[in-house]
Amino acid sequence: MEKIPSPCIGINPIKLKDSSFLQGLLKEIKNSLGVQTKIITVLNDIEFAYHEGRGQYYSTRILEELNRLTPDKYLRVLAITDKDLFIPILTYVYGEAQLDGRAAIISTNRLMPQNRSPKELMKFSSRIIKEALHELGHTFGLTHCRDKRCIMHYCRTLREVDEKQTKFCFFCETLLMDKLK
Amino acid sequence: MNKTMENKTCARILIVDDELIIRESLAGWLKRDGYSIVTVESGEKALEIISKESFDLVFLDIKLEGIDGIETLSKIREIVPEMPVVMITAYGSINTAVEAMKKGAVDYLLKPFEPDELSLLIEKILTSKARDLENLYLKETIKDRIRFDRLIAQSKNMQGVFDLIKRVAPLECTVLITGETGTGKELVARAIHSHSQRREGPFVAINCGAFPEQLMESEIFGHERGAFTDAKEQRRGKLELANGGTIFLDEVGELSFKMQVNFLRVLEEKLFYRVGGSRPISLDCRVIAATNRDLKKAIREGIFREDLFYRLNVFSIHLPPLRERKEDIPLLARHFLMKFSKETNKHVENISRDALDLMMIYDWPGNVRELKNAIERAVVICRGSQIRPQDLPISVGESNKREGPDGSTKLLPLKEIEKRYIKQVLDDTNWNISLSSKVLGIDRSTLYKKIKKYNLKH
Repeated sequence: MEKIPSPCIGINPIKLKDSSFLQGLLKEIKNSLGVQTKIITVLNDIEFAYHEGRGQYYSTRILEELNRLTPDKYLRVLAITDKDLFIPILTYVYGEAQLDGRAAIISTNRLMPQNRSPKELMKFSSRIIKEALHELGHTFGLTHCRDKRCIMHYCRTLREVDEKQTKFCFFCETLLMDKLK
Repeated sequence: MNKTMENKTCARILIVDDELIIRESLAGWLKRDGYSIVTVESGEKALEIISKESFDLVFLDIKLEGIDGIETLSKIREIVPEMPVVMITAYGSINTAVEAMKKGAVDYLLKPFEPDELSLLIEKILTSKARDLENLYLKETIKDRIRFDRLIAQSKNMQGVFDLIKRVAPLECTVLITGETGTGKELVARAIHSHSQRREGPFVAINCGAFPEQLMESEIFGHERGAFTDAKEQRRGKLELANGGTIFLDEVGELSFKMQVNFLRVLEEKLFYRVGGSRPISLDCRVIAATNRDLKKAIREGIFREDLFYRLNVFSIHLPPLRERKEDIPLLARHFLMKFSKETNKHVENISRDALDLMMIYDWPGNVRELKNAIERAVVICRGSQIRPQDLPISVGESNKREGPDGSTKLLPLKEIEKRYIKQVLDDTNWNISLSSKVLGIDRSTLYKKIKKYNLKH
C-alpha cells in the first residue's frame, strides 16, 4: 500500500488540456504552506455538475463530491479544471472553497493568457498559483484580506490578480500557521 | 436561520430569499468576504428579525411567498428607515425592481450577478452608511453645542472653557493656558486663533522645552548671517513667521531664565532683534502661552520671573484634567472611535458597556491624549464590531490595581511590566502563540519560557 506523507494536500487535476503548470504549482503550495502535496484522482470528470442552461459547471456541487470522496488521510483537496465554474448567484467564479472545510476547486478557464508568449505563460502559471493558494487559504478559515498585496485579497480583475504577490500578509500568515500547527 | 461567527469585517448582512440554493450561495460567497450573515426564507421572518436585531445591509428578493419583496421593503422602511436594502431579482421582474428603488431600496441586482458588481456594491453601500452616520454625528455635536472648533466636550466646566475662548478670542490680549499634559492646550490656542481677528494670519507653535537655550533663541528670534558659527544664512524666527497671526509658546515654563528676560523685553517693547542683528523688528502677532507647570510655585522657587508671568497671564484659561470631567469620556471615546474606525477602514462601531465602565473608572493621567491613543490602539486590535475590555491597554483594565496606599501611581519593576504586557498581548490575541510572539518580537520558544516563568494562565 502506498505511503502518504503526512500531512498532505491532494491535488486533483480534472481532464486538463494543458497541465504544464502542475509541477510548479505543487512545489509552490508545498513551499507556501509547508505541507506535502500529491497528485491524486478523486474525480475523473465533473459532468454531474454541468448546468445546461448556463453551459457552466456548478462548483459548490463539485466541492461536495470532492469532500465526500477524498480519503481522510488528505488534509485538504484541491481540484483543478479548465471548465468554466459558477455558483447560482454569480455569473462565474475563478474558484470556490469550503470555508474552514476540506475541499477547494479552481478553474483555469478565465485565467488563460492572451497569447502563448513566454511572458503571458508565466503570468498564467502565476495566476493559477495565486488562485490555488487563495482557495486553500479559505479552507483554513481565512477570509478576504484588505491588503492588496496579500494572497487572500479578493481580486475583481485579472490585472489585480497579476498585481498581488504570491504570499500571505503577516496577519493571514499567522492565522494560517496556527491552523497548520 | 443560519448565523456565522463574528469575523474581521463584521458588517452584518441579512439575506431574504425563498430559494435555499440562492440563500446558501450568496451567504457562502459573502462569508468569504468576512461578513456576518443571517439568512431567512420569507418576508415575515425578515420583519421579525429586523425588529429585534440590527443589520448593516439587507438583500431582499422581490418574489417571495406570503408578503412579497415590495411589501416587505415598505415595512422595513417603517421599522428601520435608514437600513440599506438591495433588491435581488430575476430578469423578468426588472420593472418591479425599479418600483422598489422608488420605494427606498438603495439598489437592485439581477440574478445572477457579476462577482465584481456584488463586491463593489456592498463596499459602496457600507462606506456611504458610515459617512451618513458620521455626518449625523457631526450635526448632532454642533446642534448640542458639544463641539467648539476641534474641541469636543459636554461637561459643565468645559462649556465654561468654550465661553472663555469666545470672550477672549476677539481681544488682542496675551492668554496663558494651564492644564496637565494631554488636556488639549494647543487645541484651545488654535480655537482662540481661529475666532480672532488674526484668523487669516498664521498660527505658529513652538515648544519651549524642545531646544537648548542658544537654539531656542535662534528659533524664536531668528538670526543674521554670521551670527554664530553655523549661521551661514539669514533665518527668520518664529516671531517673524507668526507676523499678522498668533504665536503659541507651548511649555513656556521650560524657558531658560535668559530667554525669559529676552521675552519679557519683547512683550514690553513690542520689538525684537534677530540674533546678531541690529535692526529692530516690530512684534505683530498675538501671544498665547501654555504650561503644565505650576508657575506660581516656580516663581516662589525662583525659576520663573514674576514680571513675565503677569505679562503672560493677562487672561488665563485653565483646562480641567479628564478625571474631573468624566462625563466627557463617552463622547470623546465615540469621537475617536469614529475617527480611527474611518482611518483604518475597519467597521468598529461601538464600545461595550464593560469597556466603557473601565474607561470611566480609570483616572487618565495622560488625559485626552491618552484616551485618544487607547481608542486608536483598541480599534487596531479589535477583532469584532465592538471594543471590549481586552482591547483596552492594560493600564485602563487594571486602573484600580495601580494605585499605592497613598493613592499615588505606583512605579512597577521592569519584570512586572514585562509580565503584565505579555499577559495583555496573549489575551488580546486569544492566546494565539504565533501571533503573540510576532507582536512581542520574540520567538515562540522564548514566549513559552516566559509564560512558564511568570506562571501565566489563559
